[in-house]
Amino acid sequence: MDGSSSTPDINLNDLSPNDKKELQQFVTNEAQKAKIQSTVHYLTDMCWKRCITSRISSGSMDSYERPCMENCVDRYIDSQVAVLKHLDKLRNSS
Amino acid sequence: MDGLTNSFGMNSAGSKKAIWMEKIKQEAAVEQARALIDKVSDNCFDKCVPKPGSQLSGSETTCINLCMEKYMDAWNVVSRKYIERIQARDI
Repeated sequence: MDGSSSTPDINLNDLSPNDKKELQQFVTNEAQKAKIQSTVHYLTDMCWKRCITSRISSGSMDSYERPCMENCVDRYIDSQVAVLKHLDKLRNSS
Repeated sequence: MDGLTNSFGMNSAGSKKAIWMEKIKQEAAVEQARALIDKVSDNCFDKCVPKPGSQLSGSETTCINLCMEKYMDAWNVVSRKYIERIQARDI
């Protein structure tokens, strides 16, 4: 499965309008999933740097690290919401 | 109804659609794996090989292996939490 692998040996125009529509919906869903996964990659990377601060001595997170990772995700989203709210406030007051 | 017909490959256009879907799914999975491997390599190299020597030591290798498992554990925790927040629609 390398990047150079060819597309399926079929023409998209062979598909019925209905199939095309379904395929389009499928692509939209997959893109949505990919976007979520990419955010998860970003958050894991960022929160790992904040929460996993001691030497690696086990293959799973300890009782400090796990809640730290969870809080990190929650607080990041809270911050995002706070930024948007404040932006809204600034915009409305100007 | 349409989906049922297609999943049994009863019409050729349907199976062509299925080929595309399979292809797209595979590409997504490869991309996903590539991104994870990148992040694991980055973060675990950072963590386990702070002072690179003439070769990877036994303890460094052990650290890399544990770190990899731990990173995937962390990835799953973050994924669960993030999806929970998205589904709560407070984002």
